Amino acid sequence: MRSGWAVKIHYDWRLSRVLDEDGNVLDVILWDARRTPSTLAERLSMIQAGRLLPETRTLLERFPEATPDPLGAMSDPNWPEPEEGEANLLQEATTILAKRGVADAAGNIDRRLDMLVSATAELRSAWTTNEARCVEWAGLFITEADLDNQRTMIPLAIADAPNIDGAATALGVAPPAHAPTEIEWAALKSHASGVVTSSQRLQEHEDAIREIASDYIPSLSALMGPLGAAKLVVLAGGRERLARMPSGSLQVLGAHAAMAAHRRGAPPPKHGAILFSMPQVSHSPRWVRGKIARFLAGKASIAVRVDHFDGVPWDQEQIDGINGEVEAIKAKFPKPPKRG
Amino acid sequence: MRGERRKRDGRIEWRRWDPTKSKVAAALQRTKGGPSELLPQTGSTCLYLGASSGGTVSHIHDIVCGAGNHHGGQVVAVEISPRMMRDLAALAEGRNGLVPVLGDARCPEMVAPFIRGRADWIHQDLSIADQAETFVRMAVAFLAPGGVGLLSLKAASERASDGDDDSRFAKAERILGESELEVVERIDLAGLEEQHVVFRCALGAL
Repeated sequence: MRSGWAVKIHYDWRLSRVLDEDGNVLDVILWDARRTPSTLAERLSMIQAGRLLPETRTLLERFPEATPDPLGAMSDPNWPEPEEGEANLLQEATTILAKRGVADAAGNIDRRLDMLVSATAELRSAWTTNEARCVEWAGLFITEADLDNQRTMIPLAIADAPNIDGAATALGVAPPAHAPTEIEWAALKSHASGVVTSSQRLQEHEDAIREIASDYIPSLSALMGPLGAAKLVVLAGGRERLARMPSGSLQVLGAHAAMAAHRRGAPPPKHGAILFSMPQVSHSPRWVRGKIARFLAGKASIAVRVDHFDGVPWDQEQIDGINGEVEAIKAKFPKPPKRG
Repeated sequence: MRGERRKRDGRIEWRRWDPTKSKVAAALQRTKGGPSELLPQTGSTCLYLGASSGGTVSHIHDIVCGAGNHHGGQVVAVEISPRMMRDLAALAEGRNGLVPVLGDARCPEMVAPFIRGRADWIHQDLSIADQAETFVRMAVAFLAPGGVGLLSLKAASERASDGDDDSRFAKAERILGESELEVVERIDLAGLEEQHVVFRCALGAL
């Protein structure tokens, strides 16, 4: 009786063969169905995913002691040469697979969040520059306007007014001493309309992030807000990577420069940009920020694992509990540590 | 390729292979041996890991397959990024014998279903850590006896804890040397491609 361990099944998309340890073919099944590029694409993606083809499975039922070897056929000197037309069929099937893979990338929420979050970040940075310029530009003419308290109204007033006097009236102040020329006013007005439009676009972008994040990472969104949660996922390069990340790494996400400096000997960063944007960290006294950031990073790490590995999403009760603990940390360290 | 210079000479078209854009072309210029020893044979089976959008792959395909694949070669080009695969798949549509594979170039099982046999020529160009270990695994699985294995090693992709560029290259060379492979030549691409070294390997005598 032959021992079974050396019996192997070699296969490719065309056929499967059972071989004994001396390389003798014990059994063979050919793929004899109608060959089309799309059926071949199915078979190739099955093999790629590590699943067995129907022929291989049948052979395995006939020879339960045999082991399928996915790399065996390639080095098998007796493996049949490709026949006429088979190379072309493979070519067409791989093109189908490649295109399907490209199309499937849009089904990946991580990639969609990346586009949204990056677009929002770029839009926001452009918006800040333009909005500041618009306010300064309008303020140069409308000297009576309050550039702090009326800030949000200024771009709207300019965009809607027929001329600079109208904008001043809309803001409830006296008309300016000097007016821009007609073409200069047109430039200022269209600049202001741009600011107003990009404010709306920013709002739409962030609403889209909120909707996706609340569904995709509900616990993390509940803990730190959907926008911050989405940014963390994007910085980590996907939800899975964030879920597998140690909480110490999550804590310093967004602090690339500080981490690079730390590798050269500087003290470690207490928190990255995202954690710092949480009021629990940024509105706490500086001597407890590191402690709170470390605590929240630990909780965020658990939250994203709950979301990724199909746990029960956190509700407000758990978030309140966490915020209570943050208050306890602050209460425990009311005074800055003495320098010694 | 974008911005490529071409020249037509009757029925023959010549394409410029830019050594500052292709590590294989750079290695051809910098090798101390015969440049043709780095290239695959016409009509052979080639495996390209980390094909990107297919710049270098197109030149390899020209050599191995020719227009309409009249040489009967096969170039299997593996790339994990769907964005790059988009361009690569478009390239493959006009190039018979070029097989685009969307998948992880570190897994032999991902590549095996597409390749018609052991490869006579392998080039690996991946921006990941553990490039040398990956290359050993893939070359042992796929390289044919007597075949050429090229590893383009990017120092910046290896882990920061492995020290500076030179020690990263040395570590890779040690890993290759301790494996079933044999390092035939170490080609420094300085001047053409910074922080890159190409290792030309062959399957050693076992």
